[in-house]
Amino acid sequence: MVSGTGVEGPAYERFHIEAKSADHVYNVPNKFDVHAKRLRLAAMLIHETIRYRFNRDIVLSRPCIYGVFSGRLGGFKPIKQRCVGCMRCVQEYPHIMQVNYGKKYRELGDLHWTPESVFTILYESSTGKIPVKGMGYKGSFSGEGWDGIWTDMSEIVRPTRDGVFGREYISTSADIGSKPFFLDFSSSDDVTGKKIRLLQSSLPIMLQPPESSKLDIGIAVKQSASKLGIYHMSRSPLNAYEEDPWYVPIVDKANLGKLNLDRAPMIEVDLFTSNRGLIGELRQRYPSKLISVRLKIDEAAEDEACRLFNDGADVIHLCADYHGFDYSKTHSHISHGLRRVHTRLVNEGIRDRITLIASGGITRAEHVPKAIICGADLVGLDTTLLIALQSEFKGETRDRTDCRLASRKIEVAWGAQRLINLMASWHDQLIEILSAMGMRDVRRLRGDVGRSMTDEELREQAFEGIDKLS
Amino acid sequence: MINNQAGINEKHSERIHHGLDILPSLKYGIPGGLGNKRWTGELLLATYLQASTGQPPSNGLEYRIGDSGGGFDVLSWRKPGDMPRLATEEVDLGIPLNNRAVGAKLSIPFPFYGGGMSFGSISLNFMIARARAAEKLGTYMSTGEGGYPEQLVPYKDHIITQVATGMFGVREETMQYAPILEFKYAQGAKPGLGGHLLADKVTSEVARMRESSMFTSLYSPFPFHSVYSVEDHKKHVDWIKTVNPRALVSVKVSTPTDVDMVAIGSYYAGANIIHIDGGYGGTGAAPEIAKKNIAMPIEYAIPKVHRYLVSEGVRDEIVLMASGGIRTADDIAKAIALGADGCVVATAEAVAVGCTHCGNCERGRGCQVGITRG
Repeated sequence: MVSGTGVEGPAYERFHIEAKSADHVYNVPNKFDVHAKRLRLAAMLIHETIRYRFNRDIVLSRPCIYGVFSGRLGGFKPIKQRCVGCMRCVQEYPHIMQVNYGKKYRELGDLHWTPESVFTILYESSTGKIPVKGMGYKGSFSGEGWDGIWTDMSEIVRPTRDGVFGREYISTSADIGSKPFFLDFSSSDDVTGKKIRLLQSSLPIMLQPPESSKLDIGIAVKQSASKLGIYHMSRSPLNAYEEDPWYVPIVDKANLGKLNLDRAPMIEVDLFTSNRGLIGELRQRYPSKLISVRLKIDEAAEDEACRLFNDGADVIHLCADYHGFDYSKTHSHISHGLRRVHTRLVNEGIRDRITLIASGGITRAEHVPKAIICGADLVGLDTTLLIALQSEFKGETRDRTDCRLASRKIEVAWGAQRLINLMASWHDQLIEILSAMGMRDVRRLRGDVGRSMTDEELREQAFEGIDKLS
Repeated sequence: MINNQAGINEKHSERIHHGLDILPSLKYGIPGGLGNKRWTGELLLATYLQASTGQPPSNGLEYRIGDSGGGFDVLSWRKPGDMPRLATEEVDLGIPLNNRAVGAKLSIPFPFYGGGMSFGSISLNFMIARARAAEKLGTYMSTGEGGYPEQLVPYKDHIITQVATGMFGVREETMQYAPILEFKYAQGAKPGLGGHLLADKVTSEVARMRESSMFTSLYSPFPFHSVYSVEDHKKHVDWIKTVNPRALVSVKVSTPTDVDMVAIGSYYAGANIIHIDGGYGGTGAAPEIAKKNIAMPIEYAIPKVHRYLVSEGVRDEIVLMASGGIRTADDIAKAIALGADGCVVATAEAVAVGCTHCGNCERGRGCQVGITRG
């Protein structure tokens, strides 16, 4: 608590997330499927036995440095889970060896979640580390939404690598609530006038598991959020949440009476299922609490955001579907709606007096800074949490009311550590992005589109004058 | 035991050479797990074939573009119309590397040279192979930041000494060998992040070369902690010209939104070559988030820099080299059409000697074909 200001949150301490290994408990498919044509392998063994004059060491020497052909049966029964797809065996014995992407690996995910993105989340949540690989980028040139945005870097400014390694501090904390334009002080230096209602989150991230999530997942989310110093949202009337200072209840007309809201630092009104009248009702009943309003992004989102500000909302939670597409007729990517709402609030002169949370389709670490560049103060994570906890794909995950991701039974402590690991990895990756820009504070990044480049704009400029093929 | 090891080495050398020859024939098809969108299986096989034969494929293998869906992969050539086809011998591919009035007049017979790959991240054998090739071709290759192994000294007239932020292995002696000195401010694959040589790769040799401790991670900081302005950069260039007045100075930077400003700053600081390294370039190890998301691809940076240098009236005095995702001869031609003088290639050289672009270079076990160190 900062004295007299009403800013709530822990006193200053250097933020650090402690990652610990939390291995997968459910099987993860092998990325590669190695197959040896056994007859040809036997023929090759005979050939090499004669050629190398029964020298066992030479004949049985295999090209694989990852031990795929270790064990008594050697190449006849490759240890598939060790294969990293280096292809050395195929290079040496193309007539015998085949390495393909595994069938189960290829089937992983849905239209939005690629097998690679699922693997990335699994890696991050099991290790807490930043994914590091050799060679250059291997994917598509660009893509829709976040994939069509690049972040900037600066050739000569600090803090950069220094920030990554902690010699200089890069802040990733975010403020939630409404900031006044100025403060009034009394003669004794106390802040007077309207009390500032501001919460602080260690990361610009809120956790909000899909509603279909099982109870143990909710508890794991709660434990990880409190350890991380970030907020989590749920509409579940769970007793375990009642004393939790990091819990934000989502309310609507249906569950209003079932939730104990007295301890909650912030209440979220769900406009998907309620009308705006509930905002005034809650504001009257809980004048000191922050009121957040969950709003779907559509054609009217920016007008509605201004109205909600006037209705007394401190926070607007802009939601797209779980694949990151909005509810307008064109189903545009969330980045467009977010930029529109942010820009409108800036133009209205009220941007700093309201917090924007963006959720839906935030499924990779790089989506966090990109959403912030587009105007969000924080992002909400949903299906990503379930992927980290090894939930199972049963179909498309796009629909908020029918997300086809089946949560599995988990140990709460394991689940909490997986989520802490995921956040540790994303925190470090956020710092990588900020450090490349020479930026010390993630709050400075909000709406700073000059720190980004879009594929559309760059292509227009760079390829100007080049004929387009029809 | 020694004989066995020699036999094992011989067996696998022979097998892999056989494989690299036979795979591009497509006798066994394109291996399903080979390649990715930027370096497709076909492109890898086509590069093996070109490295074996010196000729482009004639069996239909795609050797010009990948499957990334953007950049060079969606640019194609306008039909020449009535323009007559020139005889091969009439085409001059050479480019000068110094367009200023003063300094050594170096040139290369075709518009590309080898990019920086450091000792430690790549093996000595591969380094020497690159140096020999550069000598034979009359071009250059860059040491990268990791020191200058003495085995490279015989090829010193074709070796660019890189001076990067960690200054690993940078000595006056190695700077004085060089016909071109390259300042590396940033690398396209990890722009703004510096370098990180994983502890596993810091063997006794590498530690000796870099004057550090064995099996301890080595970081090249970002940025140069003595350079925070164009004026500081000018002092750097002056320093390097004092140490080696004969050498041309190349400045390697990545591709932020203001890459055009950076380029003009380098020009005024006295650089002969501005080398821009796009976001999709290669690396021995980098965070995936950096490769994909930070800084613009080279296809967009080249015209931006070229036009700005033209508008400032200095384009003809500085050489613009482009790297970071230059995979094929077609990419080089497209980069030049977009405004570069030439290109710097590195990953393609690794593919030529058997790299599969699998991306396991950073693992403790190292590279399966011995290109990177493990």
